[in-house]
Amino acid sequence: MLCNGGRSLKNRLKVLRAERDWSQADLAERLGVSRQSVNAIEKGRYDPSLPLAFTISEVFELPIEAIFSRD
Amino acid sequence: MMAQTDKITGVLGRGPAFWAVMVFLSTALVLTLAFTEAVENYATLMLLTAIPCALAMVMFRAGYKSADVQDNGCAPGGEAQKRYIKRTAISTSLYLITFAVLMLAEREWDVSRQVLMVLSVLPGLGIVGVFWAIARLIVEETDEFMRMLVVRQALIASSFALSLASVWGFMESADVVPHIDAYYWAVAFFIGLIIGAVVNRIEHGTWGAV
Repeated sequence: MLCNGGRSLKNRLKVLRAERDWSQADLAERLGVSRQSVNAIEKGRYDPSLPLAFTISEVFELPIEAIFSRD
Repeated sequence: MMAQTDKITGVLGRGPAFWAVMVFLSTALVLTLAFTEAVENYATLMLLTAIPCALAMVMFRAGYKSADVQDNGCAPGGEAQKRYIKRTAISTSLYLITFAVLMLAEREWDVSRQVLMVLSVLPGLGIVGVFWAIARLIVEETDEFMRMLVVRQALIASSFALSLASVWGFMESADVVPHIDAYYWAVAFFIGLIIGAVVNRIEHGTWGAV
């Protein structure tokens, strides 16, 4: 798992996606990234950059802190 | 929910990984025939070399078709990927053609030293083309996660090849190992890319883009 200053990030991507009945591929298409990227972010294997985090926040229409939090 | 893409990828229903294995096996077969001297005729060996070359082109084609599909389960898609595959295919073709010409010039044709010098530069430039294609992929890939995987792969490959070259170089100067031609460090780099893909798979759940 990637760490930021020794503290890893948690995210609610999987839950938010399930609430909207989106597959990983659906979300990937909305974000303009690969399905592998969505999978890696969901599993905490990759922390997205700030621009991608903003795009995720726009797609879910939620503030970033409602999607990502520190462990 | 969005419609899922049901495109058939690859060539003859087989993806790039299958064709890569075919390239490896056919190359191993040709090398075995050459080193065991089962086939001694040089022209026949050159003709047999066309088999792995043709399979390599099929592999690139399969990779290109896979890159057309964004969600194909294992290989990533995208325009940058397609351009990378096209550039690698062209560079590899140039390498194979110029290498064959160089071998023929060295062994069969009576050419001047100057001509031989020019011909001997060309295969190396073909390999440089592959490095350039990797560099362009890093620049052009818009998916930040996939770009990170390519960078990791290239770093692992560089570290592997340079470490091997450093250790071997000192051993060679101490006369404890035989001489290795310098172009084999490029081969070590490509083996390093495979190691990098495996590391990516273990740590990030996907093989990466190269």
